[in-house]
Amino acid sequence: MNRTMLCVTSALLLSVSVTACGSSGDPPPGAKTLSFELTDEGCLPHESKAPAGPIAFEAENTGSSKVTEIEVMEGEKILGEKENLSDGLSGSFSLTLDAGEYTIYCPGGDVERGTLTVTGKSKAKASPQADAAVAHYRKYLEENAHGLVLQTKPFVAAVIAGNVAVAKGLYPLDRVFYERIEPVAESFGDLDPRIDARENDVPAGEFEGFHRIEKALWEEGTTKGMAPVAKQLQKDVEELAGKVETVDLQAVQIANGANELLGEVSASKITGEEERYSHTDLVDFEANVEGAEAAFEAVKPLLDETDPELSGEIEADFKMVFAELEPYRQGNGFVSYTQLTQADTRKLARSIDTLAEKLSEVPAAIASSE
Amino acid sequence: MAPLTRRRFLGAAGAGAAGLGIVGAGGYLLGQETADAGGEGTGGVPFYGEHQAGIDTPAQDRLHFAAFDLLSEDPAELRELLREWTVAAAEMTAGEMVGNVNDVPLAPPDDTGETVGLLPSSLTVTIGFGPSLFEKPGLGLAGRRPAALKPLPPLPGDELDPAESGGDVCVQACSDDPQVAFHAVRNLARIGRGTVAMRWSQLGFGRTSTTSRSQETPRNLMGMKDGTANIKAEDTEAMARYVWVGGEGPAWMRGGSYMVTRRIRMLLEVWDRAPLQDQERTIGRHKYSGAPLGGSDEFEPLPLEAQQNGHPTIPADSHVRLASASENDGARILRRGYSFTDGVDESLGELEAGLFFICFQRDPAKQFVPIQQRLGSIDALNEYIKHVGSALFAVPPGAQPGGYVGEGLFT
Repeated sequence: MNRTMLCVTSALLLSVSVTACGSSGDPPPGAKTLSFELTDEGCLPHESKAPAGPIAFEAENTGSSKVTEIEVMEGEKILGEKENLSDGLSGSFSLTLDAGEYTIYCPGGDVERGTLTVTGKSKAKASPQADAAVAHYRKYLEENAHGLVLQTKPFVAAVIAGNVAVAKGLYPLDRVFYERIEPVAESFGDLDPRIDARENDVPAGEFEGFHRIEKALWEEGTTKGMAPVAKQLQKDVEELAGKVETVDLQAVQIANGANELLGEVSASKITGEEERYSHTDLVDFEANVEGAEAAFEAVKPLLDETDPELSGEIEADFKMVFAELEPYRQGNGFVSYTQLTQADTRKLARSIDTLAEKLSEVPAAIASSE
Repeated sequence: MAPLTRRRFLGAAGAGAAGLGIVGAGGYLLGQETADAGGEGTGGVPFYGEHQAGIDTPAQDRLHFAAFDLLSEDPAELRELLREWTVAAAEMTAGEMVGNVNDVPLAPPDDTGETVGLLPSSLTVTIGFGPSLFEKPGLGLAGRRPAALKPLPPLPGDELDPAESGGDVCVQACSDDPQVAFHAVRNLARIGRGTVAMRWSQLGFGRTSTTSRSQETPRNLMGMKDGTANIKAEDTEAMARYVWVGGEGPAWMRGGSYMVTRRIRMLLEVWDRAPLQDQERTIGRHKYSGAPLGGSDEFEPLPLEAQQNGHPTIPADSHVRLASASENDGARILRRGYSFTDGVDESLGELEAGLFFICFQRDPAKQFVPIQQRLGSIDALNEYIKHVGSALFAVPPGAQPGGYVGEGLFT
């Protein structure tokens, strides 16, 4: 490794949520300014508040020989500081802070520690291209959430009517909409476990949603007792569709979502663990990849500017993955997972790994243009 | 600025000092790094040189070996892979981080990270090419294939599993730290994703050979000293005669060697029930001293002519006799194998363990093959072993800084 580490970003300290580089130059435009007085009492005011985002800290020693330094700390980590401010001197530095409680530490004062409370969300101004990426993906998200609501209705009706054969036919078609947008659904706390948990993912007695019904249809061969589960599923997907409309999205997050979708494929689809009763895993496989592709297409204009070569490679790799899936297509779905040989799954896994390794570079590659 | 070693990276990333990360104080940490960088780098084996490291360099304690299938027949992609592997291997053997994106919050780090804080630990990375590489029409390498890189013929006693045999390209990573060896293969596999896919791999936990006079002869899983009579790196004449490819090979292989690997499963449950005397007669050496039967010192010459009660002291079917150079028209090989275990044999519930045999030579058809033809048919040891995996690779000479391993194949 021979890059100059201009800013030490604490890559190993996973909790750091602060922009790495404090700066003592001009504060970034739009920064909130907080002024402190260094006195024998400590730094005044002891309590301060600011909105999340860039903050300029100004400090002036108004006659203290005991206090000559001000530090902004998160826990025991120093995020920024100004030292050697003797009587009459002033100085400044700026930081970009996320919401949270920070300590204003002024050693030597009567009160050494003050509190800075940062609230709200950091509002970085996005570029027009980034806004376009978000709008593009939001449309996809809403279409699929809406599709999920519509497609769940006949499925739920079949389950309530006790029509096992029809419900089995509708199940994979409904799953597609969910699997395409799964990472977003996962961001809403307990909605994903309610809709999509597998039996061992949740405490006994809380197993509900798609996979509970899947188990009833394929394993138990009946829909007995499933009506309440099906009704709840309909409510849950409607709640999901409602939340999707207001979800806060950023281009980098969308790119990360594409990675997560391929992670889903590697972790549970290619292993046949997701649809353990129906064995319709390849349907989910394709839906995950479609969702990842849609997310990639949304941010592609950003990537085309920063790394067109990577962009072209990823596009080709998506084509390659879809081509690898093609031999297993059957009717409007895919062959059962149980029909795949080890050589088949190995090949499919390899194609996903190839694509995912490159796709994982996208978030950092587009971050600068956001 | 000098490359940042894994140990120094730890300090620079702020996690070394009692978890106190000083953000935005890069200047301070950089200063500290240059101040005491000089004390580092012990335990490193140079990557660049006349020969690839990992052949005549002292055998380390741990192995991670991997054979890969090439997914693309585009020669440009293969060249790029070898270039990237060379750079990464040189970084890892020097105890540096792989790549240069390791501290960008939004990017997956180039280096997988499990060796951060670890010394180079004598890591060597040795790259080879299997016969099948030269049979891919798209690569157009058929004309570059060395005559010595003929697939091994079927050998007596073979019970080979194709899934654990062969491979277009191989990586032998050896280190004194198992995590460092694993890290090397893992990172090279990751760099190669899309161009190569791992076909099989083997971990080895204890060396079974010495390649230097400075090393003590280790024991294999049968409890026997193995490789006493191995070629030693200090014997440069023997190395030139038996190991390094000379003028007989194509120019791109001169200074290289041919590697044969054999996954040899030992039937340890059966071996453990054999009386000591039978064990010693099977091998031809005393179990504890390693001395030839009838002798007392490990390094005394094999008394192949000696008789006892009208029978050869070293039995006619003993392993040392059959493997000895004098019984093989003088053929010798450089052995560099490792003991392995992969848990439990699924069908029998027995220890899945044995020897991952690795040897280097100038011409397998004149060295390993005839030796194994004899051993495979009459060696008393066959009662206790099975050859279940096999591979052959052309190991090109070492690379020079700025170049890459296998470069000669494309020029």
